[in-house]
Amino acid sequence: MKFLNIVNIELYKIFRKPRTYIAFGAVAAIVGLIQLGFYADGDSYMQFGLQSFTDSFDIQGNIMNGYLMAYIILQLLLVHVPLLVALVAGDMISGEAAQGTLRVLLTKPIRRSTLILAKFTASGIYTIALLLWMAVWALGISMLVFGVDDMLILKSDSATQIMASDVMWRYLAAFVFAAIALLTVSALSFFLSLFAENSIGPIMATMSIIIVFTILNTLDLPIFSSLKPFLFTSHMLGWKGFFDVTVNENNEQIIGSIENLRAVLYSAGILFLHIVGFLVASILIFRKKDIMS
Amino acid sequence: MLSVNHLSKSFGSFQAVNDLSFEVNQGEVYGFLGQNGAGKSTTIRMILSLIRPTSGNIEIFGKSLYAEREAILQRIGAVVEKPDLYRYLSGYENLSLFAKLSANRISKAEIMDCLALVGLDKRAKDPVRVYSQGMKQRLGIAVALVHNPDFIILDEPTNGLDPQGIADIRNLILMLSRDRGKTILVSSHLLSEIEQVADSMLIINKGKKVVEGKVNELVNPEKLQLEIVSTDNPKALELLSETVWSKSTSRSTAHRISVEINAGEVAALNKYLVDNNIGITSLRSMNSLEAYFLSLTSGNEVS
Repeated sequence: MKFLNIVNIELYKIFRKPRTYIAFGAVAAIVGLIQLGFYADGDSYMQFGLQSFTDSFDIQGNIMNGYLMAYIILQLLLVHVPLLVALVAGDMISGEAAQGTLRVLLTKPIRRSTLILAKFTASGIYTIALLLWMAVWALGISMLVFGVDDMLILKSDSATQIMASDVMWRYLAAFVFAAIALLTVSALSFFLSLFAENSIGPIMATMSIIIVFTILNTLDLPIFSSLKPFLFTSHMLGWKGFFDVTVNENNEQIIGSIENLRAVLYSAGILFLHIVGFLVASILIFRKKDIMS
Repeated sequence: MLSVNHLSKSFGSFQAVNDLSFEVNQGEVYGFLGQNGAGKSTTIRMILSLIRPTSGNIEIFGKSLYAEREAILQRIGAVVEKPDLYRYLSGYENLSLFAKLSANRISKAEIMDCLALVGLDKRAKDPVRVYSQGMKQRLGIAVALVHNPDFIILDEPTNGLDPQGIADIRNLILMLSRDRGKTILVSSHLLSEIEQVADSMLIINKGKKVVEGKVNELVNPEKLQLEIVSTDNPKALELLSETVWSKSTSRSTAHRISVEINAGEVAALNKYLVDNNIGITSLRSMNSLEAYFLSLTSGNEVS
């Protein structure tokens, strides 16, 4: 009861802060701009993307549909959304320390571990709310504006066609995966916020870690290859695995198939372990931390 | 009510609190006195379990603080240093939010009563960011009082307040003690504040206990600290060095002489200097407790 009470209080504080709505506004603005751009000039973009296929294939239907639009948006945004997540998660402890309210909170009869769990839960709820907001804009609005049809995903050397009836559950799974990925960022930022007395530090540190890890990921050098499986950023785009399908002997998509489910689950597992690790470390450190702010 | 035993706290090589022991009895207002940086806030933070002592232990309500932290904190209300609150929330929202962290259910009426007690009921809906320093201080005290604690800890509650604000807080402390029977630990570097509200007090310096006792016993009205300004201070100093007051005479500033003296000897000292052709421009008795405090915290420790 006390835990839920504190979660409620933390959510109340999060959603009473103007900065919380920056993230929601930014997502709506960015997604809206991308949709506007594609609505105005999407056909020429698709023609450019499909030019290597049109000689060999006859492509008909609404290619530039809401499903593809959502895929493009998620691909673009899920790299940048961690900043928006860190804005709140990185502020959870350090922001309270900066304004001096952390010591007021801790003079109240609540366990430190309960407070950390409640604060993490509240920042997780914010993260998921932001993701749902993104889903509404990226998928919901795109479906309304661009309509629905089979989904054609273009890659550098191939194209995957997914039947329209087989798309929605993949998005649901992809958003669940994205939630785990963003909760990992949230947990990292939350953990870093234990060590700072202003929220800029943890937010910048979180973004720096993500940028450095992403660069290490993209550098195709043997020295970094052994590191890559252990970098959580290597697994953050695992949601795309839900859009890799298998085909039968007639080269037709097998409905409900995932090409490499094991890899997707492995990535989700690694991310989940990171969340647990950061949370446990946060609790252990916070329980013994001297509150000097 | 509170028993602090051999409490020490180090930050690296800096010893903030050094083997400090004292007791606060039920129903009393206990003054915790020391200059800035003496270790008052560090001690209070340890009493509230905000920081862990390097050694020593604390018992409150007869229970070990670290074994029964939550049960103890349920019965304590505290303001530590500044009364920091959520600036984007109103006074009422702040109080309501902290009230929810109590194990007791606190009604809206009780929250409004608490705001009225500190004189903020008419500004309850205003955001804290527009509150004056005095209003924030009073709201901080309301946060400490909202769950009706038995033991109240106020760390420098008059810091940054104007004279009226200081008087308001002083009256509130006295009211809480006399009318509601609360036990109060109040820290300050202002001796006059402690003298006016406290029954007992502890003076610490550089993290160590200097003296502890009943305020009326520590303040000896028979002993005065005289500040003398004369027409010839060097000669006056020389003359005094040949008297019984020589050991308690010092130059307090370039133009003043300080003498610790019994009240009955002031006239004799004055006559002695005048008879020796020293004109007395000013003869002023400093606050006895202040003089006492300054003498204690200037290096002389009392066991």
